[in-house]
Amino acid sequence: MLKKKICMVGDFSVGKTSLTQKFVNNVFSEKYLTTIGVKIDTAFVNDTKLIVWDVAGRDSLSPINASYLVGASGIVLVCDGTRQSTVLDIKDIWQVVKKRIGEVPAVVALNKSDLEDWHIDAQQTAYFEEQGWQTFETSAKDGQNVKALFEALVSEIG
Amino acid sequence: MVETSLQQHINQQLFEKLELAYFCVDQSMQIIDASENLENYGYTGVVVGANADDCVDFMFGLDAYTELDLPMVESPSGKKVSVSLLPRDSFLTVLISSASAEADQRQLLQQKANENELLVEQQIKLMKQLENASEMLEQKNVQLEEASRLQTSFLSGVSHEFRTPLTSIIGYTNLVKQALQSAGDDGSESDKVQHIGAVQRSSKHLLSLVENLLDHGKLDSDEIIVRPKETDLAELFNDVELLLKPLSDGKHIDFIVELGFEQPMIVVTDDSRLRQCLINLLGNAIKFTDSGSVRLTAKLSDDFLKVGVFDTGPGISQENLAKIKLPFWQAADTGKAGTGLGLTITERIVELMGGELEISSELGCGTQVSFEIPAPQLDAEPKPVESQMLPFKQAKILLAEDDYDIADLIVMMLSERGYEVSHVDNGELALNALENQEFDFVLMDIHMPIMTGYDVLRELQVKGIKTPVAIMSASAVESDRAKAEQLGCFDYLIKPVEIDDVIRIMNLAIDQRA
Ligand SMILES: Nc1nc2c(ncn2[C@@H]2O[C@H](COP(=O)(O)OP(=O)(O)O)[C@@H](O)[C@H]2O)c(=O)[nH]1
Ligand SMILES: [Mg+2]
Repeated sequence: MLKKKICMVGDFSVGKTSLTQKFVNNVFSEKYLTTIGVKIDTAFVNDTKLIVWDVAGRDSLSPINASYLVGASGIVLVCDGTRQSTVLDIKDIWQVVKKRIGEVPAVVALNKSDLEDWHIDAQQTAYFEEQGWQTFETSAKDGQNVKALFEALVSEIG
Repeated sequence: MVETSLQQHINQQLFEKLELAYFCVDQSMQIIDASENLENYGYTGVVVGANADDCVDFMFGLDAYTELDLPMVESPSGKKVSVSLLPRDSFLTVLISSASAEADQRQLLQQKANENELLVEQQIKLMKQLENASEMLEQKNVQLEEASRLQTSFLSGVSHEFRTPLTSIIGYTNLVKQALQSAGDDGSESDKVQHIGAVQRSSKHLLSLVENLLDHGKLDSDEIIVRPKETDLAELFNDVELLLKPLSDGKHIDFIVELGFEQPMIVVTDDSRLRQCLINLLGNAIKFTDSGSVRLTAKLSDDFLKVGVFDTGPGISQENLAKIKLPFWQAADTGKAGTGLGLTITERIVELMGGELEISSELGCGTQVSFEIPAPQLDAEPKPVESQMLPFKQAKILLAEDDYDIADLIVMMLSERGYEVSHVDNGELALNALENQEFDFVLMDIHMPIMTGYDVLRELQVKGIKTPVAIMSASAVESDRAKAEQLGCFDYLIKPVEIDDVIRIMNLAIDQRA
């Protein structure tokens, strides 16, 4: 059986925990509870066992802790489509990732696609294309593209 | 020995305090040692010989050579733990200690901080939306103002159009009336004289309504002009009474006029503005009163004219009293026709004449409107018939006017008095005539085809032709008058012009030239 460690990274409150929980346990909660440190979950994509590290988001008090990334084969970069700054911050976050574990495969989740004040345009996501990342408009709330997101990462990892 | 046991004791204490657990793996990640209390954190199956990759979730992907700190990892028990990987020679020790207290504290702090930041972001977003919204509102406002300006200029335009034919109606009926009066000295034509009088009064009423519309366009721009002059108050009030009596008669209500003075009562005031106010106030009172009476009172004291209009109509509620002076406002349930401009304009005019319009009313108890304006009294001399007062001076007059009805009327009235009048219907012809012939006086319209009155004045200045020119204009706008005066016109008359005014000015001009 194949086993892979992947990490969810992105700014705080973009939906890393929600996407993980939707994917792993098929649940969603509107209530926001800040993740402290890291929570580790497992799930399967076909016959690959994923060990998903839901890492505390980058926030005003602390940068993401790069130690958590050690040993990861892939990264899910998560941003919030209703908060432009979280899209732009991906660039910085990627530098942290790259510095610690190198250019591992990654996919991007533009999350909260179910919300109305969606602010994404091509200019903001141009960087994702440059990097060759598959990008998904996801919703942890209604489940849109959640499975596709993780499946894409698994096939990128190979 | 004592030392060793103390050290052991301390170690034991710390171990328990930190809830320290551990295991060791060799370089192939096989467990070679493990503490028993690992199960307290939910790590089960961590036994010698097992593979750490399989039985401890955070171990997958890590290696046995790298030192690593993983703070606040959620263990299978739900408790937060701190994990330290300490490589040593040929094996790796993994220390696990409780981080619950720290995590709880951190949770509180972080939650607050993040929520705050989200709130700030939300606020910024809302502010932006608000800014956008207010920008849009501003645009809307500009559009509305433009629309209102267009409406106003449309109203003014239309009323101008009305004013010219009305002026000619009033002038011609005057001529017909005079003809009838002189033809029927015996009283044989008295019926017709009466009918013509009625036509005249209605036309004047219509003219005053049109004037209201014209004035409305000027309400905001301070262009309503008040020009006090000698006026016989008694005559003015009698006129107004005659004008409005048919309206009250038509509704079978009493129209009572109580004047505190007798004819003649000469004061200085703007007679046409005062007339406009009275017509507006009385017109309203009669319009809204279906039974009972409308009473007009006027008295003079210490050079002030005090006017009151009292009706027995339905009255006005407190709520509506506040709105009643707004333009176009009409109580929705009255079902009465009108422009709804009268009161707004009257209030403004009264203000310009130095007074204040006061309204008091109560539902079911009628309405009282009153104002007091300065009206300095002159010694009342018996007033001679105007035309007799004006001396006749032989004069050759050029009339430039593109409206033929108005032109005919003026030509007729001036010829009747013995003047020689030539008429042209545009500015160019007027200029030609003045270049080639000698005239004593020019009466000229502003708005004419080919060359406007302004153009002609300008050319006359250039060519040094000094024939005195009186401008006739439908525009009471002060800037238009200033422009004409700057271009050297002798005087500026506002249409409809009174023939006696024309003659008076002409006499003055001729005297000055002599
Ligand atoms: N409407 C909507 N809300 C979401 C979605 N994903 C997350 N949220 C909400 O966003 C907030 C932050 O989510 P969370 O998963 O804790 O973000 P994290 O800090 O990145 O782990 C929570 O209140 C979630 O309910 C989504 O797809 N749609
Ligand atoms: Mg989270």
